Amino acid sequence: MFHKITTAWALHGKPVTIATLVVLVAFPFLFSNQYFVTVAILGGVFAILAMSLNLISGFMGITSLGHAAFFGVGAYTAALLSTRCGWPFLLTLLAACVVSLIFGFLLGLPTLRLSGRYLTIVTLAFCEIIRTVETNWRSLTGGATGITGIPEAEIFGYVFDSPRKLYFLILVLCVLTYVLIARLMNSRLGRGITAVRDDYIAAQAMGIKDSRYKIMAFVISAALAGMAGGFYAHYMSFISPLSFSFDQSTLILSMIIIGGLGNLTGSVIGALLLTILPEVLRPLMVWRQVIYGALLVVVILGKPSGLLGNVNLKHIRQRELFRRQSPSAEGEVKP
Amino acid sequence: MSTPILRTEKVTQRFGGLVAVNAVDMHVEQGEIIGIIGPNGAGKTTLFNCITGQYTPTEGKIYFHDKDITGMTPFQITGLGMCRTFQNIKLFPHMTIMENVMVGSHTRIKANLFDVLFHTKSHNTAEKEAEERAKRALELTGLSDNPYYYGTDLPYGKQRRLEIARAIASDPEVLMFDEPAAGMNEGETADLTEFIREIRDLGYTILLIEHDMRLVMNICDRIYVLDHGTLIASGKPEEIKQNPLVIEAYLGKKV
Amino acid sequence: MFFQQLFNGITIGATYSLVAVGFSIVYSVLELVNFAHGSFYVMAGYLVITMYSFMVLPYPIALLAALIITSALGASMNQFLLEPIRKKTSSGESVMTATLGVSTFILNLVMVLYGSETKPFPNPVDFGKFYVGSVIMKWNQVIIAAAAVIMIIVMSIIIYKTKIGSGMRAIAQDVSAAKLMGVNTELVITFSFFTGILCAAIAGLLVAMYYGSIDTTMYLGVSMKTFAAALLGGIGSLPGAALGGVIIGVLEAFVAGYISADWKDCISFVVLILVLLFRPSGLFGHKEIKKV
Repeated sequence: MFHKITTAWALHGKPVTIATLVVLVAFPFLFSNQYFVTVAILGGVFAILAMSLNLISGFMGITSLGHAAFFGVGAYTAALLSTRCGWPFLLTLLAACVVSLIFGFLLGLPTLRLSGRYLTIVTLAFCEIIRTVETNWRSLTGGATGITGIPEAEIFGYVFDSPRKLYFLILVLCVLTYVLIARLMNSRLGRGITAVRDDYIAAQAMGIKDSRYKIMAFVISAALAGMAGGFYAHYMSFISPLSFSFDQSTLILSMIIIGGLGNLTGSVIGALLLTILPEVLRPLMVWRQVIYGALLVVVILGKPSGLLGNVNLKHIRQRELFRRQSPSAEGEVKP
Repeated sequence: MSTPILRTEKVTQRFGGLVAVNAVDMHVEQGEIIGIIGPNGAGKTTLFNCITGQYTPTEGKIYFHDKDITGMTPFQITGLGMCRTFQNIKLFPHMTIMENVMVGSHTRIKANLFDVLFHTKSHNTAEKEAEERAKRALELTGLSDNPYYYGTDLPYGKQRRLEIARAIASDPEVLMFDEPAAGMNEGETADLTEFIREIRDLGYTILLIEHDMRLVMNICDRIYVLDHGTLIASGKPEEIKQNPLVIEAYLGKKV
Repeated sequence: MFFQQLFNGITIGATYSLVAVGFSIVYSVLELVNFAHGSFYVMAGYLVITMYSFMVLPYPIALLAALIITSALGASMNQFLLEPIRKKTSSGESVMTATLGVSTFILNLVMVLYGSETKPFPNPVDFGKFYVGSVIMKWNQVIIAAAAVIMIIVMSIIIYKTKIGSGMRAIAQDVSAAKLMGVNTELVITFSFFTGILCAAIAGLLVAMYYGSIDTTMYLGVSMKTFAAALLGGIGSLPGAALGGVIIGVLEAFVAGYISADWKDCISFVVLILVLLFRPSGLFGHKEIKKV
């Protein structure tokens, strides 16, 4: 059943993509309720975070618990530059990317020396250090109360002052992120990244400089998370260290694991699911987080490798098309 | 004789107190098939690892076309034109057969981050070229199955061939095979023997480690014999067969 | 001042050591970062409150029962949740995320049942204090440190000297080989969860007694420090984890005493990163030789 669906999806990728985009564009008009749109905006922010984390943890195979740090660095950069220096939105967004990118490079460095779970804990440590700095460097970051009064997003005089406008802004950023990572992974560089993840010794023997690919994955991922942070700061108009804690990192990681490591569409689905779920559970009041924890376990018990883990639509499509072209070759490979 | 394509000079590799490879001198000429044989633990794979850059030899020098490559990294050495396969097959499990081979051409195609993100002409050419090269390598190695299945789905013998195809796609001058016939039955080994000869005739120089004596004696132009990390003999297959030191290393001392 | 900080640091560090040793036991067997480890640390304390204050059981019995229940729950988490996931997938990340779910579940359940404010923790015995030079030492502190040391020694004996301990080490090396050699891997893994979480629970109770209070935020700090301690010493090495805990306890005490309590929580991570950059396998970890 699942196999049939994925095969059909793989073969009709274009119509599915177009239909999805149509639905996404139509969404704020179908649900004029502002609440739905604001939840969707948050879902978009997390979709970017999840897709970018997938680059490190899914495609590169380094489980990272530091992603909230990049998110935070981006948010603080944008917030400070707009409130203190009066930079316009596009520039603060760009600056958020660049500063996060630098931090991505810094966190990428230990990957050259460490591996496996050691690295995971180092990313966690990184996240905590950044959060502590955000909390305690009061003159810069405003301490635990954070930064308030961040101006609304605005591009060349066009102000994004309604949820619907912001929705389209984040939608564009999401599509940008998706296309960027998809293009990266379907290229010479993407094969390099996959090869290093799968077997770094064989990758080196094939002429791949593994260190460069690890750093590249971290840098790109961090820049995208920083972009999400920049948007988030302008969207919320206030930020505090609470939004960038270790809990947020684990939330983003849960999203990509539920969606399936190494699958971009999965990351988006995971992000939306885990953004919507707490909202759906809201009526349960204090029990919300309890149920949430339980559901997380149940989902993983049911589908340990995630909804779309081990599903590569491109491979399925190529395989099916080849089979149809040369039916004689059918059945030569028995997996 | 012209300069050898590959030459080692007193290469020594120590791990702590253990001398895995001890002052090995060898040379490989253009177009030769060279075998490295020796009992288990003789240091054959370690020597391979020194040549391909996985290890940096403790002492000694390695020259490729008279260029000193001692201490270079594996990816630099592959870029120069030497590529290897592994004793315990190392395919990329999340890649299709096609992609596995396309990785081989990594150093031969050019596309940077900008090209990739904006789908410039160099990206498109690079992708096309990688695919062409992969198809050629697959054809050469006789892997005619649907190349979009996963490499690790292939039967064992074909996985070894896939590794060879991957190495060939890197367009090397020297191909290095670490026990290519391991785990193969007689028929498969005979095919492989024939195949290695074929690719030599295409202009590749081949250096291989092998336990299968029939294969080695059949195709090698010259053979180096290692025992306890030391080179105990070298020469043509007929000479090696009759060398008392070699017989002793393999069969133990005569009482 | 200096020696007072040192002594306080060692005392609290000893409890970190104990949690880290427990964490390290599970980690070395399964290579699993168990995020639920710290939540069991908290759970034990609340169980004591329940049994001592509400059910009016005698104090020692409440302590003992809390320890047993917590460890048993830890073992069942492995048996009924993690084991099935491991059977279905080889991805360690999935198992790790499941422990995150368990941790969220336990902590929030505790918060729902007991409220998130700080609760007084019953500690009926105060043994008083004594002076060494100008350093004030409470007997409770001495007892905590001693208990932690004894537990660490007991754990080391279990791991390095007993049959089940050699089973654990065998699984740590190679699960399938251990299975072939007749090790009942499932039992051994469950046992390692039991003992590992027992360590966390004991440490949780010791700390609750020390401060005389308990709250759910204890969890996060201690979880993080545990990871840091275990890595600092070198994961898989029990003496390493123990020493890592003490180092972090002392560092924190000094940072809080001489710089500012604000930076206390992050010093362990700064040191951890610095140490790992120079010794990638921690202070006592073994260097892995890559095999081709």
